[in-house]
Amino acid sequence: MKIGLECHVQLPTKSKMFCSCPTEECEFPNTHVCPTCLGMPGSRPVLNKQVLVYGIMIAKMLNCEVNDTTWFARKTYFYPDMSKSVQITQYDNPIGERGVYYLDGKKPIRITRIHIEEDPGKTKRTADLTSLVDYNRSGIPLAEIVTEPDIATPAEARQFLTQMIGDIRHLLDIPDDLEWEVKCDCNISVGTERVEIKNVSGLKNAEKALHSEMVRQIAMIKAKKKIVRETRRYDPERDVTVSMRVKEFEDQYGYIDEPDLGIYHIKELADSIRIAESPQNMILRMTSQYSLDPKMAKQLVNTSVDLAILFEDVAKEFGTADAIKWVGGPISANWRAMEDRGVNDLSKLKGFIKDFADGKITDTQCAIEIKSFMTGQDAAAAKEESAGLETLINGFLDENPKIVTDYQKNDKAANQVIGYVMRQTGGKYSSAEVVEAAKKLIESRI
Amino acid sequence: MSMDDVMSKLKAVNEKYRMFHAMTDDTSAGDADFLFSAKDNLTSKDMETCAGSRILEGYHPVFDATSISKLRDAGGKLVGKTNMDEFGFGTFSTNSGFEIPRNPYALDRACGGSSGGSACAASVIEDHISLGVSTGGSICCPASFCGVYGIAPTYGRVSRYGLIDYGNSLDKIGVLSQKATDLKKYMELIAGKDDRDPTSMVQPDFDTSYTKMRSVAIPKEGIEGLSKEVEAAFNNAVEQLKGMGVDVEYVDMPSLRFAMPAYYVLATSEASTNLARYVGMRYGHQDGDRTQKFDDFFTEVRTKYFGDEAKRRILLGTYARMAGFGGRHYAKAREVRQVVINDYKKVLADHDAVLAPTMPFTAPKFDDISKMSALDSYKADYLTVPANIAGTPHLSVPCGYDSEGMPVGMQFVADHWNEKVLFSVAEDWEKQFDLKRPEVSI
Repeated sequence: MKIGLECHVQLPTKSKMFCSCPTEECEFPNTHVCPTCLGMPGSRPVLNKQVLVYGIMIAKMLNCEVNDTTWFARKTYFYPDMSKSVQITQYDNPIGERGVYYLDGKKPIRITRIHIEEDPGKTKRTADLTSLVDYNRSGIPLAEIVTEPDIATPAEARQFLTQMIGDIRHLLDIPDDLEWEVKCDCNISVGTERVEIKNVSGLKNAEKALHSEMVRQIAMIKAKKKIVRETRRYDPERDVTVSMRVKEFEDQYGYIDEPDLGIYHIKELADSIRIAESPQNMILRMTSQYSLDPKMAKQLVNTSVDLAILFEDVAKEFGTADAIKWVGGPISANWRAMEDRGVNDLSKLKGFIKDFADGKITDTQCAIEIKSFMTGQDAAAAKEESAGLETLINGFLDENPKIVTDYQKNDKAANQVIGYVMRQTGGKYSSAEVVEAAKKLIESRI
Repeated sequence: MSMDDVMSKLKAVNEKYRMFHAMTDDTSAGDADFLFSAKDNLTSKDMETCAGSRILEGYHPVFDATSISKLRDAGGKLVGKTNMDEFGFGTFSTNSGFEIPRNPYALDRACGGSSGGSACAASVIEDHISLGVSTGGSICCPASFCGVYGIAPTYGRVSRYGLIDYGNSLDKIGVLSQKATDLKKYMELIAGKDDRDPTSMVQPDFDTSYTKMRSVAIPKEGIEGLSKEVEAAFNNAVEQLKGMGVDVEYVDMPSLRFAMPAYYVLATSEASTNLARYVGMRYGHQDGDRTQKFDDFFTEVRTKYFGDEAKRRILLGTYARMAGFGGRHYAKAREVRQVVINDYKKVLADHDAVLAPTMPFTAPKFDDISKMSALDSYKADYLTVPANIAGTPHLSVPCGYDSEGMPVGMQFVADHWNEKVLFSVAEDWEKQFDLKRPEVSI
């Protein structure tokens, strides 16, 4: 089975791709529009250069070759939401080509190309079966990322998308809480003929659409029926794909170069753009650089890249052991709580660790200071709570001394403690906190 | 005649010559410094803009074309929007969805096209300048047929913001007038960078200082297939030029023969994408049956309101862009464009301009035009197309009259951005040429 994806992501510019209309969401239809994005006769496009910058950043992240010159093309097709009946996109010389992106740091997924293009408007059906068109989205910049058919399963497609989208969000600094629609055209062939499932919204639906199409194709093959090359649509309600039309080949759109926009020489611009390390690459690097358990590296980076950076700072200043003990332990456990409170004074945290490293405070004190600073609980209460946790664990260990001996063979034995505490306290303590305390107390008994 | 006199007679003039599609109701010039008209493919806030097409009937743009707003800012009063071939598709302005302008020298003859109404207005109305647009010769052709001066500047010299596109890589806005000196004066007003049209942003400064023309090259390919009368008038004009101290040399420019097929591939390919937006949804006629599926609705509106020539060029362009043909035709045509440019550059390295008659014949009668095939009329543009495909500036001057009094024009082509040598030769020519104005009796 072969799966290839064409993935559309919105680029976070303030204004549209070819006019100065704002890109922000708008309550009323056809408000953020002007002659250019409405395709009025005599209007013409003027490129928002930031779109090139974002395009180059993604191309670099996907290890693509960035073309020295790039230009735009007209794709002509008739649809009510396409104001000019022409979409300005890229055909020859897109921004980047021939990239590769590693799934989980291991499996290479080849990237055919990345190009930038404008979004059409939106068609809305009304209750009386007429349609209305809203051009607020017309001209919003998108990047389209096209992969080779290197993806093996629908689940892997979702994994690929989750990872890549996470990396792009980080790269383009898109806030975690911002809703950011990702649309995919999913190509899948179980046998020899390829079927495209057009315009699937969201990662979960991409997997479901591919799965349902895979099942359909397998059934067709078993029944010795011919699979036709076509475009289908995914109906999430019924979880089936439905035929739309016989597949159009790209060259049927009659592409010509966009004559209103020139050729962009982007080599210098591309050379000047340095991109931050992707979260995925950071996980891989930290795992090997600090000999970390991959799970811990993943947990740190996925919780927050800032947390991972703090880990690296602490490791540099006080050694990897303290970084794992404190950043991987209570700091990681209470990170969300700290973020929720809007606290971000990381130097305080480093101060506690320094006091511990200098022998000024004990590890119990250090853990309490960290927790009380991050959660805002006063130290006495944190101490009491912590003491409560320790009492609970000690009691359990007293009753089950075998855990301590098992732990020496395999540290997974500590999980029994975690399960017990969780059952007793119903999530009062975070798992990281419990693990930390359990390991500490078990180790004190060895 | 004062501007107010002109204004008071405008309606009557238009009755007779049909140069305007839309026009002002004002009968006085107010505090205007000059009057001008503009081809109807330039958008105007205060007047309906249709580009000669019924599909845009009733369309009132929300913005002025840059060239129009610049003339207004300079004190100009827009008096009318001129009739033209639909979207610029024609050589005689007979492919108009509305009125067909009449030749000022003989009402049963054409004004040329596609800026026919503009040339007619420039010829008939005193002290008038008119904005025209050239894609393949649409300024110089009607200038020649109507006996006026006309310039199509270098591609990118005048902002195309507000120009209803025919072929975006070819379209150029220029000026037509009875007076050579007006061309420079008004081109200076409309030229220049405009950040709303990126293709205008690469131009060098507009230098219009006097530069005497010392030599011209006449391509052998440019004096083939001429009518006897055009040939005679042209030869006579060449002698006059020599008398003005201009060296004349006959040269070979073999690539000119290939400009025409390449032009029709490029122009129709671009046009077919430009015309895709006219589907009866957002402007112009929207009176199709709305209970149909959207593509049937689009088809109904387009079938009803596009003229035959627009349909022909959409089909030609779509064919040229289609699978299997796109690479072969469009890419090849672009290569030919480069070859033509190289040919001009080679000749213009040794000469100030390339010279030939503007049109191979004088303004034809409407009866004769109706007998011409589409191909016949395409072929009539073989002298104007090469400079247009190369994007080089070109200027037509009236250079004689045939036995029936119809004007003959000749066209100078200069190197990119070198409009000044064209203005200079036109002004020198004007000083010694006996311009015969048409009789305008209202």
